[in-house]
Amino acid sequence: MQRSEELRWVGKYIPPLKMEGIPKVTGAAKYTIDVKLPGMLIGKVLRSPYPHAKIKRIDTSKAEKLPGVKAVITFKDIPKVKYTSSFRDLPMATSRRLQPPDQYVLTDKARYVGDPVAAVSAVDAETAEEALKLIEVEYEPLPAVFTIDDALKPDAPQIHDHAKGNIAAQVKYPFAAGDVEKAFQEADVVVEDTFMTLRQVGAHLEPQCVTALVEPTGKVKIWSPNQLPFPCRREIAKIFGLPESMVEIITPFVGGSFGTRLSMYNEPIAVALAMKTPGRPVKIEYTKEEDFSNLETRTASRITVKMGFKKDGTLIAMQMKVLTWAGAYAARAYLAGPIALMWGMGHYRCPNRDGECTVVYTNTTPAGAMRGYGNVAASCAVEQVMDEAAEKLGIDPVELRLKNLKRPGDDSNLGPCPIESTYEDECIKIGAERIGWWEKRKLKKAEGPRRRGLGMAAMMHCSGAWPLLIEHSNAIIKFNEDGTVNLIINPAFPGTHIWTTLAQIAAEELGIKPEDVRIVTGSTDVAMFDLGSHASRSTYVTGNAVLEAAREAKWQLLERAAKMLGVTPEELDVKDSRVFLKADPSKGLTVEEVARNTIWNLEGEAQNISGKASWSSKYCSPPTAAYFVEVEVDTETGEVKVLKVVVVVDCGRVINPNAVEGQIHGGIAQGIGYALCEDFVINQKTGAVESNNYNLYRIPTTVDMPKDIEVIFINKPDPKGPFGAKGVGEPALVGIPAAIANAIYDAVGIRIKDFPITPEKILKALKEKQSA
Amino acid sequence: MKKREKTRIRLIVNGEPYEVEVEPHKTLLEVLRDDLNLTGTKGSCGVGECGTCTVLVDGKPMLSCLTLAITVRDRNITTIEGLAKDSKLHILQKIFLEKGAVQCGFCTPSMLLTAKALLDENPNPTRQEVIDYLSGVLCRCTGYVKIVDAVLAAAEEIRRRGSEYAEE
Repeated sequence: MQRSEELRWVGKYIPPLKMEGIPKVTGAAKYTIDVKLPGMLIGKVLRSPYPHAKIKRIDTSKAEKLPGVKAVITFKDIPKVKYTSSFRDLPMATSRRLQPPDQYVLTDKARYVGDPVAAVSAVDAETAEEALKLIEVEYEPLPAVFTIDDALKPDAPQIHDHAKGNIAAQVKYPFAAGDVEKAFQEADVVVEDTFMTLRQVGAHLEPQCVTALVEPTGKVKIWSPNQLPFPCRREIAKIFGLPESMVEIITPFVGGSFGTRLSMYNEPIAVALAMKTPGRPVKIEYTKEEDFSNLETRTASRITVKMGFKKDGTLIAMQMKVLTWAGAYAARAYLAGPIALMWGMGHYRCPNRDGECTVVYTNTTPAGAMRGYGNVAASCAVEQVMDEAAEKLGIDPVELRLKNLKRPGDDSNLGPCPIESTYEDECIKIGAERIGWWEKRKLKKAEGPRRRGLGMAAMMHCSGAWPLLIEHSNAIIKFNEDGTVNLIINPAFPGTHIWTTLAQIAAEELGIKPEDVRIVTGSTDVAMFDLGSHASRSTYVTGNAVLEAAREAKWQLLERAAKMLGVTPEELDVKDSRVFLKADPSKGLTVEEVARNTIWNLEGEAQNISGKASWSSKYCSPPTAAYFVEVEVDTETGEVKVLKVVVVVDCGRVINPNAVEGQIHGGIAQGIGYALCEDFVINQKTGAVESNNYNLYRIPTTVDMPKDIEVIFINKPDPKGPFGAKGVGEPALVGIPAAIANAIYDAVGIRIKDFPITPEKILKALKEKQSA
Repeated sequence: MKKREKTRIRLIVNGEPYEVEVEPHKTLLEVLRDDLNLTGTKGSCGVGECGTCTVLVDGKPMLSCLTLAITVRDRNITTIEGLAKDSKLHILQKIFLEKGAVQCGFCTPSMLLTAKALLDENPNPTRQEVIDYLSGVLCRCTGYVKIVDAVLAAAEEIRRRGSEYAEE
């Protein structure tokens, strides 16, 4: 592994590539809502007003007759193929467990308020909306359940025929070990507690928008914000009975993803409409109310954690029971619930462990993925129980964590694969130092209405989900005659400066400038396979494919230059866009001279220098982090102010500190929102989502952010990451809510066990504590 | 498809006059995006909560999703497409990129225009003044830290140079 000072581009604080940055600051960037095509029609979706109802009769004749309407479709017009929004065959490696399909493109039985029952396309939005009103639907309302508890009652209405007792899945922790019951008996201290985690909403600003076009050849083109374009292509192909190659997913700029867009929403509806009007594209843009009410939320679970320790703080037994609140369709909750077990029980060393997860259908908006999914829920429970145990044991929370951390070579949190690198201990030690843990925790709490407290949490995540999923990416690099390259990749468009990061990796290896790496992306037809953007994988998995492709291209470049110079390739190297003799750097050629000579070669030795690589990850390089926060709780109003946040991250070698700091800052904001103010509210009578826009679902603004934020990188290379890098997108947020909860406990001695921790809940708990 | 009454109005956008036929209920956001093809202005919440659709009208931030186009006839409207001049970036645009204040970029047009209005009013704002002025524009990616940093750095650079525009 190169030393940092030997690197020209990796590790440099650089702005985004011009092609990634300039369009966004000038208004030139075209997002999914900006797609405008000749002959384009506008599609709208008719949604069920009932949380649970059979459709007895549906009459579209009046809508069809309205001038300007081009197509009206219902369950009668869509393929009789069940699918799942989160893709039936994600390449699950460990369990080979494929997700059972449980939904149709349009339904004849509504299972939540908002379930799509019909759709129209028309020449403009007003006409499409008018047409929706003309569709006559006769519903037979059925009893509905909105909570886990109601759904599990013996007399609860059955939401799906295939799921008896509304149980979508029941999963045992796959890496159970030892004898848990015996170990609990042998433990000196056993702590058990239960927490309800939050159905956080992605709340990205760009509304969900998809445009679909059926070309005269029958080829289907879809402009979609989906984060997994290739799996999306496969699912669409399966629903509509097409070969994958007849479906192209085009990814424009996307206004925020955060995991919400791991699932499909209006993609299949737009395709079904577009099939009725070949040659005329159909665009479906959701309103923000539709977004908040229908896009998958983060999956919430009720998690019971039991941990047993020896007197010295050694963790010897652990058990987790997870009850997962899925919505009307299992969607990504199917995976997000069970994976919480793996994160929760895979974080610390523990010889005796078991657990189970039950995923429960309810008549609510489908639950799915959001940044750090499963791990935020696990952290909210486990990291609070760790603090409770520390108190009982009389050991400092920092010390208790340090004692039980995993080390390189231990099995990763996602299964039997050794951890390549972890510097979690350093994260914790440095974070404690920076926030003044040892001094401030000892101080006697000040009297008065405003109380301060310190809290922390530690975390281990993943760089791509191997060994849970097959993590497969590809990259192609081709040289242009001017000495620049095209890097052809498809990691979707998460807005994380990933183009720039991957260009830095390619440029470092090729000895050229990042700006000379032109990214070609955004089409499943152009790029080779990439699983997409999830599980903090792009820098690590796609990055390794890019590095391998660059190595191949570099070798071809040196071979050609060697021929031109009459030496061997081994005698050459390339730096600053110049190939030179290692023994005499004054002798050499520019990269452009070599590239030009290969393509415009008049001796007949023409060749286009290129490299391509497939990377299927076989290693576990989990990023780790420690989060420290200081809060002030106003005991008169219940308000919590986050005063200071310190996040210390071990994400391997940082490729671009500018980009990674931005990830951490954004994660802190989303973590504060999760802990304190974001609340997904379902009306318990109607089943409708009440928190259906930014006025009712509050995300943090500039004024909610702490004034004092410190982000520190360990910056030590991982043996398997490209130039030593690990993932970082999700770790940014995972431990923030638990750290805030622990700080509130330190400040006022109460634990709110269901998120978010609102002023009302704090005041109520303070009152109860006083009267106790 | 109904025939609807339209009114002919003049909008001055980024210094250029446009004659457009608009229905009276059309918002400025709709007219900018649909009629003038100026899609740099984005829409999101539709109810004036998120600030994403902010444009400048006579230099002041205004929510284009709540503004009827006919109410701003003949007034000077600045959209993100008008922030750079003669292919030179505004210093705010340049520093937003340098400081990493742009992630997905969807709120960026409204952040930049709101920041420009602030610096036009107050060329030397404190950190708290920047935080307060930008509090009506939501961003889900950045946590705002680098946005506030960038506005302060841009203010300093504009004062130092005596010009709002970056060199080529």
